[in-house]
Amino acid sequence: MWDIEKIKTILPQREPFLFVDEVVEIDPGKRIVAKRYISPDEYFFKGHFPDKPVMPGVLIIEALAQTSILLYATIYPEIASAHPYYYLAKVKSEFILPVFPDDTLILEARNVKIISTGGIIEIEARVGERIAAKMTASFSVKKKNESQNES
Amino acid sequence: MPNEFDQEIKILVAEVAEVSVDKLDDPNVSFSDLDVDSMKALEIAAAVEKKYKIIIPEGEIPKIKNLAQVIDMVKRLKG
Repeated sequence: MWDIEKIKTILPQREPFLFVDEVVEIDPGKRIVAKRYISPDEYFFKGHFPDKPVMPGVLIIEALAQTSILLYATIYPEIASAHPYYYLAKVKSEFILPVFPDDTLILEARNVKIISTGGIIEIEARVGERIAAKMTASFSVKKKNESQNES
Repeated sequence: MPNEFDQEIKILVAEVAEVSVDKLDDPNVSFSDLDVDSMKALEIAAAVEKKYKIIIPEGEIPKIKNLAQVIDMVKRLKG
């Protein structure tokens, strides 16, 4: 549906901080499903933890936040294509199961309320059928010239 | 004395805005005095949309400046 090249036209993040590989389902404005393969070679496994690699929860949040941006882009493609700044404002998260090397995260974001300047989204990360983490997040969106005017 | 409907919205807004209910006893107290910023205003909009099954247009959200305006907006959109 959306490959990594399309995703890179929307997300400002790049490797090794890009946490979405592909988008596999889009219900425009309502829901999006993405995937990210967690390679055993991920840089963070070297330290988290050397003897028992586990994906840090904060990086699962990052993967979910990046998926949220992709959902936003299905509603406001013209704003997203201008590469605004995205600010994560609030996160309420729950971590249910650990994510290990070789797992594939399935990231599903649902629109609670999205407007042009921000949104609230419910998102979950699954490995297979198991829910690894879920969160409700709010984020704001500022066009680059708006942010410059504030600083 | 607020009616039951107004009281219900007041409790919901207090919960979402993370302020004690008595801080909203005056429905005209400015949200900015309660540290309710634009993101919290969006959360309030989402919460009342869900509870009352209404859609708040984007243009209405910046007008959410106090509880009285939230109550008026919900009543107007509920019809």
